[in-house]
Amino acid sequence: MTRSITAIASTLFVLAAASAHAGDPVAGQEKAQACIACHGETGVGQATEFPILAGQHQSYLYHVMREYRDGERVDPVMNAQMGGYSDQDLRDLAAFYARQDGGVYDTPVRRGAQIVD
Amino acid sequence: MTLRRVFAPLVLGAMAATAALTAHADDPAQGDPEAGRYIAQTCLGCHGIPGYTNVYPTYHVPKLGGQHEEYLIIALEAYREGRRESPVMKAQAASLSDREIRDIAAFFSNIEPRR
Repeated sequence: MTRSITAIASTLFVLAAASAHAGDPVAGQEKAQACIACHGETGVGQATEFPILAGQHQSYLYHVMREYRDGERVDPVMNAQMGGYSDQDLRDLAAFYARQDGGVYDTPVRRGAQIVD
Repeated sequence: MTLRRVFAPLVLGAMAATAALTAHADDPAQGDPEAGRYIAQTCLGCHGIPGYTNVYPTYHVPKLGGQHEEYLIIALEAYREGRRESPVMKAQAASLSDREIRDIAAFFSNIEPRR
């Protein structure tokens, strides 16, 4: 009996922890308020010098945001913007933008693509 | 022959020549997506494989389709000049001219999503 309870409880604990670790898009949308001015409400902004974030790979967004936060990628505006965020904040932001429509998309190579017409 | 008869065609001819020389298709400031399509073949080695990831740290190579053209130029220039740290991207961008960067940006920005 104790073993079953322990097994169930630890499974639930791991599942809960895993989903939080993975990034919560709902929390991400709340945290993305400060980003709207440059990147738009859903990650598609008007200003063309700032990237479209909507639909981008979640892992890539997370990686780049971390680089901005930790100063490994240098951009005064982005370094300042990302300064106060925790790893979980960044996961949530990445999870939100990755799921938005109308943004960037894959450019798959066709098999046997002809370069010269 | 009056002066007007001489000058009018000369002026008109000069205007036409200027218009031809500054035609949009030859404008070096505007990237050419068709030229970019050829140069970008190298890029597609990583960016053309959906779901492709780097070895370490493990993250996806970013999608480029439909990205803002101006941003792509900024990014490629940053890689070329070493302001962004990425050994792979720096190597890729190192050999690109300003013109090629603009053409690549125009290609990825304008390419239609595949159905």
